Amino acid sequence: MQPPIATADPILAIRDLKKHYGGKKHWTGAVSKAIRAVDGVTFTIYEGETFGLVGESGCGKTTLGRCIARALDPTDGEIIYSPEDGRDIDLATLSPRQLKPYRQDVQMIFQDPISSLNPRMTLLDIIGEPMVVNGLARGKEVARRVGELLERVGLRAEYMVRYPHAFSGGQRQRIGIARALALNPRVIVCDEPVSALDVSVQAQILNLLQDLQAEKNLTYLFIAHDLGVVEYLCDRVAVMYVGQVVELAETSDLFARPLHPYTEALMSAVPPANPRAASQPRLLEGDLANAANLPPGCHFHPRCGYCVERCRTEEPELREFSPGRFVRCHRAEELRLDGVAELAEAGA
Amino acid sequence: MTAEATTPVAPAPVATSDGVAVRIISPRRLMWWKFRKHKLAVASAIFLILAYLATIFAGFVAPYDPASRSRNLYAPPQGINFVDETGQFHLQPFVYGWKMTRDLKTLSPVYVADTTQKFPLRLFVQGEPYKLFGLIDADRHLFGVDEGYFHLAGTDHFGRDLFTRLVYGAQISLSVGIISVFLSLVLGLLIGGISGLYGGWIDNFIQRLIEAIIAIPTIPLWLGLAAAVPRDWPPLYQYFAILVVLSLISWTSTARVARGRFLALREQDFVTAARVYGASQTRIIAKHLVPNLMSYVIVTLTLAIPGIIIGETALSFLGVGLKVPTVSWGVLLQESQKVQIIQFYPWLWIGPAACVVSVVLAFNFVGDGARDAADPFSR
Ligand SMILES: Nc1ncnc2c1ncn2[C@@H]1O[C@H](COP(=O)(O)OP(=O)(O)O)[C@@H](O)[C@H]1O
Ligand code: SF4
Ligand SMILES: [Mg+2]
Repeated sequence: MQPPIATADPILAIRDLKKHYGGKKHWTGAVSKAIRAVDGVTFTIYEGETFGLVGESGCGKTTLGRCIARALDPTDGEIIYSPEDGRDIDLATLSPRQLKPYRQDVQMIFQDPISSLNPRMTLLDIIGEPMVVNGLARGKEVARRVGELLERVGLRAEYMVRYPHAFSGGQRQRIGIARALALNPRVIVCDEPVSALDVSVQAQILNLLQDLQAEKNLTYLFIAHDLGVVEYLCDRVAVMYVGQVVELAETSDLFARPLHPYTEALMSAVPPANPRAASQPRLLEGDLANAANLPPGCHFHPRCGYCVERCRTEEPELREFSPGRFVRCHRAEELRLDGVAELAEAGA
Repeated sequence: MTAEATTPVAPAPVATSDGVAVRIISPRRLMWWKFRKHKLAVASAIFLILAYLATIFAGFVAPYDPASRSRNLYAPPQGINFVDETGQFHLQPFVYGWKMTRDLKTLSPVYVADTTQKFPLRLFVQGEPYKLFGLIDADRHLFGVDEGYFHLAGTDHFGRDLFTRLVYGAQISLSVGIISVFLSLVLGLLIGGISGLYGGWIDNFIQRLIEAIIAIPTIPLWLGLAAAVPRDWPPLYQYFAILVVLSLISWTSTARVARGRFLALREQDFVTAARVYGASQTRIIAKHLVPNLMSYVIVTLTLAIPGIIIGETALSFLGVGLKVPTVSWGVLLQESQKVQIIQFYPWLWIGPAACVVSVVLAFNFVGDGARDAADPFSR
């Protein structure tokens, strides 16, 4: 699908990124515990690829995506961005003013088609404002470019005088995509761009995203809670659990043979019409761990069917299992976990 | 009512092949459609617009000067007639003159209609001179009589026309509401905006301050502050002092609404998007936050005006607000605080009371309609 990863250049290198909420000392002396929404995430995204990020709702995907697009200030860590001139810049520590030239290169698409568009602005203003703010176009030129963008995302240019309330969810997502494209970005953080849409509309939007990627050589950080979408779209996938990456692999490897029990649980819960799913003992049970009060040892151990004594006390590191495959589990070598392929075969 | 329930909010827009309406409908128009559905709110809004127009053109609308005295003291309202004493119909309405006698026990004046005196009513009559907007000399009045007298709402103890005084009183009473609400709009948006935008200890401090102000019962606080206004100030100064006293409290509700909306809007994805494409803080506030909270603020303000009008009335009525020779509805009520007036000349308190009640009700109806219209996207 994409050029082999080994030959592509890194475009974003995330190093030990953290985002903690709260955790300040109150004047009464009480100390509230920090919510560790993102807690030491490390991975590299290569130019032109689609990098998937999956995990249950509340595991910190949105927070991570927003830190990378610098809508949020990370608490700690590095976001090394490689602009086209070949330098390396740490976006995490730049001030708003220093950040401005790089903002154009990393844009976002949002999950909620309602709240992502300002109801008081016409499409011309919504899609044109990024250009105006960054001095890319003025006056008539803005309208011309907005028209082009609207047509590119499958809407009609004359819609630019309308307000968002006139459009359906899928059309609104197209408008959001046009806004993200307005600055000719290199990287787009797609935060669950189809999960609020009807299934019939989802495929259209995903196809549009794929076409745009091929046409403009875009790099996607694609966030999803649905493994099906990830399998269809992504080159590599990172699985997140309470603020940490627990497994990272190429999509085909991950689906053929997950290494982490959490990945297996996600897969057993999700595959479409999996005949064995009903009797699966390894379905995901219990709730996501509390990011403000994490269990000791492996954060997944209270829900893990393979938990042993060591898991309760010793926290596993994210380690390279084989070239390009990372996992955060003590028992990765000994376990033989079911991937989607095996489940499908067993069911057939 | 039933027919109304089945009609859609907006005329159904025709959809093109890809499901997008042909007509361009702005959010403002959507709000108007929603507001228009509240018949009572629309009627109230028209009433209020007329009332405010009357205060602007007070000299023209009022048939007399508020200070000019006639010989008819304590005259009751004159009824408008179309049919005369012989049963004959007149296309032009007229009023009868008064014949005054005195009650032999109380010596108070008693008026009976004098059917020998007929004063035809006319529009745009020439009458007492006045200055329009305080600038232009004029002597035409909206309605009146060429000869004789016409007291639509009766007269007071000096024989001054009560209808005229109600119109001039509205100038004060209604403008207090509007101006003080604008003061609280500025204060509330500014303070509430700062509170919601910066958060942290600033937010904490402002919220506690607002709670402290709200915790104090309004009327005693107003009384205390109003009583501190020097007695010997000229009427204009007193007017502004009362205005400030009233605004000092009413900004709190605006500030609360503004803060809440700021907090909610700040989390909306379109604001995050603006931050990601590098829009400045000022731009985000001006183009993304303020336009989206204005409708809510306007609703709060509409609902705050009646409280302020009542506040002015109450203060003046209790004698710590505005005072004669200033004319306001509160002052008129204060003047009619005598048992004698309440018993024998009821029109002197019914007039201003009816004005206050109808304006306050109208503002509440408009506010109710506006509240539903403020969020046109909720169906
Ligand atoms: N502004 C915030 N303040 C405090 N906690 C937050 C805030 N935003 C997110 N969180 C917490 O961080 C965690 C991760 O949230 P999020 O990134 O939205 O997860 P996801 O996108 O995977 O569903 C959640 O526990 C959430 O409650
Ligand atoms: S370390 Fe232990 S508890 Fe954690 S995922 Fe691996 S087996 Fe399960
Ligand atoms: Mg999310």
